[in-house]
Amino acid sequence: MIRYALAAAVVAAAPLAAQSPLRMSFWGTASQEIVQSRIGGVRERLSGTMLSGEGVLGGERIALRLRYGQGTLKGEGAIEPRELVEGEVLLGYRAASWLTLWAGPNARAYTAGDADQRWLFWSGRATLRGTLLPGRMQSFVELWKSASGSVTRPDGAASGRGAEAGLEMRLSGQTVWGRLAYRVEQGLGDGDLRDVVETLAFSIAYVPPR
Amino acid sequence: MTRFVIVLTVALVTFAAPLRAQSADDLLAQGIRAYQQQEYPGGAWLLRRALSMQGSAALSPAETARALMYLAATELSRNQRDSAVAAAQRLQALDSHYRPDERIFGPPVVALFQDAQRSAPARSGGAGAPVATAAPRGNTIAIRPVGGGDTAFRPGAGAFLLRITTPAPAEVSATLTGPDGRAIRTLFAGPVRDSIDLRWNGLDIAGNVPAPGRYLVTVSPVGRDRRAGWSLRLPLEVTRTAVDTLALPPPPADSLYRAERGTYGRAWRSLVPGVLAGAAIVVLPGIIANGEDASSARLIIGGTVTVAGLAAFLSQRPGRTISANSAHNRNLQERWRRDVADITRRNAERLRQSQLVIRAGAPTYSPSEAP
Repeated sequence: MIRYALAAAVVAAAPLAAQSPLRMSFWGTASQEIVQSRIGGVRERLSGTMLSGEGVLGGERIALRLRYGQGTLKGEGAIEPRELVEGEVLLGYRAASWLTLWAGPNARAYTAGDADQRWLFWSGRATLRGTLLPGRMQSFVELWKSASGSVTRPDGAASGRGAEAGLEMRLSGQTVWGRLAYRVEQGLGDGDLRDVVETLAFSIAYVPPR
Repeated sequence: MTRFVIVLTVALVTFAAPLRAQSADDLLAQGIRAYQQQEYPGGAWLLRRALSMQGSAALSPAETARALMYLAATELSRNQRDSAVAAAQRLQALDSHYRPDERIFGPPVVALFQDAQRSAPARSGGAGAPVATAAPRGNTIAIRPVGGGDTAFRPGAGAFLLRITTPAPAEVSATLTGPDGRAIRTLFAGPVRDSIDLRWNGLDIAGNVPAPGRYLVTVSPVGRDRRAGWSLRLPLEVTRTAVDTLALPPPPADSLYRAERGTYGRAWRSLVPGVLAGAAIVVLPGIIANGEDASSARLIIGGTVTVAGLAAFLSQRPGRTISANSAHNRNLQERWRRDVADITRRNAERLRQSQLVIRAGAPTYSPSEAP
């Protein structure tokens, strides 16, 4: 359901992007996910590949970012494989050419058999961008921290924080961009529940011409 | 029998004229008789023939007026209203006080004459519909714009209409000349029997819209009539309706151009974001998730970002040409030139859509103009 809603939002926003000054970009990402999960004294390490899609619709100041991804994680030894689904909906304010502030929910769900565990955070973020080559290459660092959150199994409040950094460069013409990024996030729940997710991601973007 | 007599008379006049000159008075009398006998085609021919006589055989002014009156009535009777109006207007030009005899001519003829009086232009060439007369002894050739007043039309789509009327068949040319005296177009060249309408579509011979200014239509005899040596000139004041054109875009502001050669400041500003982002990738796991073993693969990404920063620094070091910025600046210039060309084209299109406004002045007649 969530994936359909996100896809519909991206499709609906496309015509708006054609009207200046709105600008839209579509990102497709393949990533390696490494999850280190700990509850009580039990530690688990899982990894796997995830595919995700992202759309960003931006005006002069305001931006909307939608991201959805899913993949399969496999653990070492007898650890049962898990399906991983992630998503986020963020509303952004471009405070300066190098600084964008975001707010909104992001969620992550693991499913193993009939059981699942869901993390939901309401967070604030800051994205800092620096230009390496004007119009061709830039680096970025994004930091986020949750204002509130929840987790299931075991149910309770949760808190989280994370960071992402990387490089974006124009690959072809004015419309195709690439991104190489590293992301690390941590979620904390009651009862010594800790979830750390690392992501090594490569993305390709299509940025329609204005 | 009567029809036979008329046809015979016409035939005799046609073929015997070179052998025995027939007076204009005789032709006028025969034309009047033909009208009375309702032999209108032959009557019109006879009356025109009478009006065309020159020299000592020509009609007197009073007879010319009478001939034109009967010619108008004859043409109206055979449903040639335009020709009838032309004859009546010619009569008005000859004698503005002339009135048809209501005992002779029926109400349609009188009404035609009144219409012609109402629509007849001032003889001296008023602002609305000027008429010039030419040729001595009561014969007149006239030129006037059809419709009168200012004429506005879109060049190439509409037309400015001029009517030349002549009392007798003549071979003439009508030429439009520009403010500099050069010929813009030949509007007409050929024989005129009674009257002819000339059209000017507002374009010169190359299809361009001429510049506003004072133009001149010159009508003069050609061919076998060259020896007559007169000319009739009608000045035209040509203007254009106002057109809203788009302003051309200003050249790109200097602030939009990028430096095409590297500087220290620019080089450092490229290095710092790359190194900081690379360093962040290395140290962030320790800050965000302290105590966990972070993936060493992140070092590859962090190193890549740092190397990218270094490469950017080197590519923009002082004195080095920055090809990307040169390309950006070229694009900026080319886009501006395209915009200018596009707006220039659109403005030209708007100008083509504008209207020419033509106001005819008072025509003048020069009897001694060399052919």
